Amino acid sequence: MRQIFYPKLAASGMYKNRKIYLPYLLTCIGMVMMHYIIGFLTVNKGVAAMQGGDTMQLTLSFGSGVVAVFAMIFLFYTNSFLIRRRKKEFGLYNILGMGKWNLFRVMFWESFFGGIIALLGGLGCGILLSKAAELSMAKVLGETASLHFAVEYGVIGKTVVLFAVIFGVILLNSVRQIYVSKPVELMHSEAAGEKPPKANWFLALAGVALLGVAYYLAVTIQNPLTAMLIFFVAVVLVILGTYLLFMAGSVAFCRLLQKRKGYYYRTNHFVSVSSMVFRMKRNGAGLASICILSTMVLVMISSTACLFIGKEENLRNRYPRNMVIDTFTMDETYAKKAQTEALNVVKEHGLLAENVLHYRYLGIGCYMEENQVILDIDKLESFSMNGYENVIQLYFIPLSDYNQIMGKEETLEPNQVLMYCARTDYQYDTINIEGCTTMNVREKAPEFIENGDGVATVLPTLYVFVPDFEMIRQIFEIQSAVYGDNSSFCHDYFGFDLNCSEEEKIQVGRETSSRLQRLAAEDESFPHVNSECAAAERNGFYALYGGMFFLGILLGVVFILAAILIIYYKQISEGYEDQSRFGIMQKVGMTKREIRKSVNSQVLTVFFLPLITAGIHLGFAFPILLKILMLFGLLDKMLLIQVAVGSYLIFALFYVLVYRITSRLYYGIITAREK
Amino acid sequence: MSILEVNNLKKIYTTRFGGNQVMALKNVTFTVEKGEYVAIMGESGSGKSTLLNILAALDKPTAGTVMLEGKDIAKIKESTLAQFRRDNLGFVFQDFHLLDTFSLEDNIYLPMVLAKNTYPKMRERLAPIAKKLGISDLMKKYPYEVSGGQKQRAAVARALIMEPKLILADEPTGALDSKATDSLLSLFSSLNEEGQTILMVTHSVKAASHAGRVLFIKDGEVFHQLYRGNSSNQELYQKISDTLTLLSTGGDVQ
Repeated sequence: MRQIFYPKLAASGMYKNRKIYLPYLLTCIGMVMMHYIIGFLTVNKGVAAMQGGDTMQLTLSFGSGVVAVFAMIFLFYTNSFLIRRRKKEFGLYNILGMGKWNLFRVMFWESFFGGIIALLGGLGCGILLSKAAELSMAKVLGETASLHFAVEYGVIGKTVVLFAVIFGVILLNSVRQIYVSKPVELMHSEAAGEKPPKANWFLALAGVALLGVAYYLAVTIQNPLTAMLIFFVAVVLVILGTYLLFMAGSVAFCRLLQKRKGYYYRTNHFVSVSSMVFRMKRNGAGLASICILSTMVLVMISSTACLFIGKEENLRNRYPRNMVIDTFTMDETYAKKAQTEALNVVKEHGLLAENVLHYRYLGIGCYMEENQVILDIDKLESFSMNGYENVIQLYFIPLSDYNQIMGKEETLEPNQVLMYCARTDYQYDTINIEGCTTMNVREKAPEFIENGDGVATVLPTLYVFVPDFEMIRQIFEIQSAVYGDNSSFCHDYFGFDLNCSEEEKIQVGRETSSRLQRLAAEDESFPHVNSECAAAERNGFYALYGGMFFLGILLGVVFILAAILIIYYKQISEGYEDQSRFGIMQKVGMTKREIRKSVNSQVLTVFFLPLITAGIHLGFAFPILLKILMLFGLLDKMLLIQVAVGSYLIFALFYVLVYRITSRLYYGIITAREK
Repeated sequence: MSILEVNNLKKIYTTRFGGNQVMALKNVTFTVEKGEYVAIMGESGSGKSTLLNILAALDKPTAGTVMLEGKDIAKIKESTLAQFRRDNLGFVFQDFHLLDTFSLEDNIYLPMVLAKNTYPKMRERLAPIAKKLGISDLMKKYPYEVSGGQKQRAAVARALIMEPKLILADEPTGALDSKATDSLLSLFSSLNEEGQTILMVTHSVKAASHAGRVLFIKDGEVFHQLYRGNSSNQELYQKISDTLTLLSTGGDVQ
């Protein structure tokens, strides 16, 4: 009898508080499930066997850690809410004669039951849904998954241990809270008088300043390489700024409104503004969390979705033709030889090299100061991190090759050049190469087919079309004198498309590269030849972007779950707080409609502030995102806009839905008294 | 002229399940004259709160009428009811019912703001009331920062600021210590002397002994009433005690 007393008490306590317990348990289940699924995908052999599966698993294993850390923080946070609600009940038990030790036993059983439910439910759902996750992953990778159903026991073990530890730590924390408080305090912990919040102008202004700096950084960023670093700085600033603004800024703002008597003492504003002060004080941190989580979801989903959707175009940018033979030479005989080998392979397969792209170029990385190309960076005195802004990639290409590719008949005087700018804009009329002549830029070329290297380096790139090959030779000499062993090579770039199946393309690629290797083996002096086959690289591409997209969605789900739970608890706690106020207002002469209107507008403000702020954050993150996606080779601005707006709308829809459901609960609570 | 007429008031609650009927008020009839100070006494469950809720138009009677200055409050439209309450009735509650999100000043302004008064006008009205109640220095404080007695004074100020025809007080001394009780009761007396009509529902013999007339409610009916006449507070106190003793021992009152 005594043995089952505590478990029974714990179970009935949980049941009676199901309104606040159930969402918590559901979230626990969700977290366990996501942890299992991600863990499952990282170790599953079926996934590993897929083309590009290993890349994907690497990406996902990173996500597994994120989920674990996040689950810890988040469950800890929500449980503190739960404990606050339960304190009254525990205080009553305490007064009725249960010692603290007895309370701990009840609490132990509660967390034990909670943990069991969370683990069983979460693992159950996880195991069931892991197959679906595997299938959708196969779909992302463009593969067909086996019908074999697998359970990863190792992952189950890891998940159980991880969450047992989390629940254990949470229990210890609750025990600590109960232990340090007196029974009477427990009874009244909810009704403790609340000090009117004071406006902290310093923190409010600091919040504005931090956000301002972060926005400024995000908007003014130019170079993709620095973008990555700045992005992390900006993220930290935005998080800090958002918290300060929601917690201190909102209170300060309401106080400001209260000072304006003409505005404040009006029927519409009076109740709303004064209640908002308290509401924001209570909810500032929670709302800021919702806002940050929402922004994370949006940034993650929109950038990864963008990469995933744009992957085919991206691939084409990186590999302008199905097959590329890049010979590192100025000597045409070597280049011809290599190209002939490739064409022979094509011929043997009964195919035709279509859409041929052939040009020679010299590529050098250099430092650009105004119209001055500086080769020797050591000479620069003031080269700092900022200097990366001025590092550019220069490609020199003979005009004849340009004319041939683009089907033009341009002519140039000596010392005149054409120019095509990628990822940058060249504003000067002349370009001066250190130790060489100054050339006049006659015209900007409207378009050119980039080579894969330029795309891969993501640097601002200038394609300079010079009158003849002799000039390239001249520049080559100059730069090899400066750079010595690190000097760049002249390239003979030869690419073509094939009209056949992907498998055959891969086969052609393989044969070509082995023949080229044989060439190099036969002739010591044969230059380095790079052969690239887009089809063979496709899987890696898909796996990388698919993996990130997939991870984006999985983490997005986790964050959304968290956001929902915060919204839910906020609504419930608001409801209980407002319950008594609702009654008083009615007695002092507000109509139900007026109260409802006022409460409605407050609740709307409170819950849509994070969504709107998240939208603004996303908007300002846009330029920096664009730069970062450039690092991954994505250049399509419109696509990012569409995807970002699309994800925002979908997210907003979802948010409104959650709000609608939870606000019904809220009204249920505040009107409960009257019945 | 009577300011409030209550005629044959009846209220029956039906429990939500099963249709059990509970008679809260059986048949209540009384009137309150302008400038009167009336206390209504009765034990828990005698129907006092129900009566007050109906008088405040927060609840509707099953039968009977409540006329405030000759106007049937049951016939007032739901949409204008709040305004009616604001303009005609001032409330003082046992647990003050001050909003903790407002300073005392703003709590007192609340009905005026709802009635769309301008800020200068509100200030003008508040100053003399706050002075009379001795809370002028507390205006910027929040409810949690002041004592129970001070909170109740602020609540009285809130009731007075709209210059209501009738003040309805529900156990106004219930949560106060004896000193605060004394001072609140003398405040009520002086307000009454200035012509304010007050209707107070109370348990406390002491509170009731300050009234001009005491009504006793038992089992949903007005069972008895006492007039002050020329009695002092002390004498009235004694009469009320005797009546209550009779009521609880089940005897009849002549």
